[in-house]
Amino acid sequence: MRRAGLRVRVIAGFAAGALALSATMALVSFQVVRRSLLDERERTAVRAAYYDAEVVRSGLGSAVQPDTVIGLLRALDTGENRRAVLQRDGEWYSRQADTGVTDAIPAALQRRAAEGVPAVQRVLADGRATLVVAVPLPDGDVLYEVDSMQELEHTLGVLTGVLTAVAVSTAALGALLGWYASRYVLRPLTRVADAAQEIAGGASKYRLDPAAEPDLARLTTSFNHMVDELSARVERDRRFAADVSHELRSPLQTLAAAASVLERRRDRLDDRTATAAGLVTDEIARFQKLVDDLLELSRGDRPAARAAVDVPALARQVCRDRQVPEGIVGGDGAGPWLVDRRRVSQLLGNLLDNAQAYGGGAVAVRLALVDGVGRIEVDDEGPGVSPDDKQVIFGRFVRGRSAGARADSAGAGLGLALVAQHAAAHGGTATVLDRPGGGARFLVELPGCAP
Amino acid sequence: MSAVLVIEDDDRIRLSLLLALEDEGYAATGAPTAEEGLAAQRSRPADTVLVDLMLPGIDGFECIRQLRRADDVPIVVISARDDTQDIVEALEAGADDYLVKPVAVKELTARLRALRRRARVVADDEVPVLRFGALEISPEAGEVRLHGRPVPVTRTEFQLLCELAEHPGRVLSRQQLLQRVWGYDTGDERLVDVHVGRLRQKIEADSGAPRHLVTVRGLGYKLQR
Repeated sequence: MRRAGLRVRVIAGFAAGALALSATMALVSFQVVRRSLLDERERTAVRAAYYDAEVVRSGLGSAVQPDTVIGLLRALDTGENRRAVLQRDGEWYSRQADTGVTDAIPAALQRRAAEGVPAVQRVLADGRATLVVAVPLPDGDVLYEVDSMQELEHTLGVLTGVLTAVAVSTAALGALLGWYASRYVLRPLTRVADAAQEIAGGASKYRLDPAAEPDLARLTTSFNHMVDELSARVERDRRFAADVSHELRSPLQTLAAAASVLERRRDRLDDRTATAAGLVTDEIARFQKLVDDLLELSRGDRPAARAAVDVPALARQVCRDRQVPEGIVGGDGAGPWLVDRRRVSQLLGNLLDNAQAYGGGAVAVRLALVDGVGRIEVDDEGPGVSPDDKQVIFGRFVRGRSAGARADSAGAGLGLALVAQHAAAHGGTATVLDRPGGGARFLVELPGCAP
Repeated sequence: MSAVLVIEDDDRIRLSLLLALEDEGYAATGAPTAEEGLAAQRSRPADTVLVDLMLPGIDGFECIRQLRRADDVPIVVISARDDTQDIVEALEAGADDYLVKPVAVKELTARLRALRRRARVVADDEVPVLRFGALEISPEAGEVRLHGRPVPVTRTEFQLLCELAEHPGRVLSRQQLLQRVWGYDTGDERLVDVHVGRLRQKIEADSGAPRHLVTVRGLGYKLQR
């Protein structure tokens, strides 16, 4: 989530930057162009107005008839956009019939012109931009030229459109650039994330290539170093457990053989010695189980060696080995399952042992193969497992607090940890539930069991 | 009384095993090195040999090879090592069974009894010669012939071959073979695989592409004509 956020921020930043830059550029250039176009237009209009004024002035005698005035105005070459009107003795003279054109001339302009001051003003006439030029003539006459700027307005409108489009597409380009840049910059980080995922998934040999990204060499080097350190530590812990257990095996062999000699002569020993010999023998058996379990745990990360196994038959065998009636094995799990025989055998045995030690013995073993998922349920009618214990029961060296626990059958607390480990080796899970009607129900689910 | 030779360099383990085996009714003798063990076996052959793998001088693997070159005495490995590599190498060298320390005396004697049973089966059964192409198996005589020439097989290999030959064309699972040949209720299937591999080298023209002793994937092995 955070990575996506960073990428989004980079893209947004690039887009906003590009937009700000292009909008400023567009605004400035629009202003400059508009200013110069308007000035140019005004100069042209004023020049034309003075020229026309000269024509009108030379044409007007001391006493001229209105028809002559209109004729003079008509003779002016004003084109389509320019309209000339003459104010003479408070009368308006126009070459066109319409009088609306005089409405466009502001009163303030008229006053100034009447005082003999030439003036130019931009006004809105009927919602259209219009330029009014006033040229005072001798005798208090004033020639006004009303110039439509519609064409200019149109040009500016097109310019606005073009500049807006340019700004928007620049922003889009910026976003694209940001997307590319963020992808490019984040790519090495993506590789680091991928590597971390691989390593978490068990590929402890996975390393990054520091030469691939010289700018990130420090990151990749320290990442590799960290992974090396971690895997070395994990390996050291694993090896330590394995080595300790291993070293215990040889003396245990001596103890086991010597204990059997004691055991055989038990009836020839006096009571105290016999009791002591019995204790020694029992403890050696427990010790042996502990060493076996520890070694098994230290081998935990090995994958399951799957083969076709008749699990119901295996479950009955495991029951027989423990003098548990094999009739408790039920369910519809017939047919071969693809599982690691050794692991499943130990898993079943440990669940039965656990039920024996804490639940007064297993009352049902149900096996089912549904959609390739092998389900193993072991029920007991003991006191059940408290919610607190459910959290930790599959941990190492965790022993039940049940009052019914018999110390002599209780192991070192590795049995259920191994159950969880064997389930995990198959990519599955082990959980403990409440059995309907009292007691505990241990459920193991092993995916990928369909042959 | 059955004689057992224990080749084990750890004095305490050797002594305790000798005591326990004598208690169980075996005539047990010990040797602290492979050299002494091999010499003892030459001068006074025991019925079964127990070998540790980590021995000074000649190691356990070489000791098994030398014992096997001499005869088909049943060899049981007792080792603290339980890596697949060690187990397979020891079995390929010619061991009949592999036990990981610490092994309970009851378990050890059960294994020794199973080996003795195998040895007796050869003498007791009266079944005519079984033929699989150029391969002839005569359970009565305890002999295997290929193209008429005798093939030297160990007792365990012979027993394995007989179990398969008695059910021609039928697939026997590794667990069934473990139970019938080694007497295990549940055991290490690598025992079967390595012994099958050893047998193939002796009875197949091309052990990489066997014609008689074939693997049925996911199920087990069968012997066919």
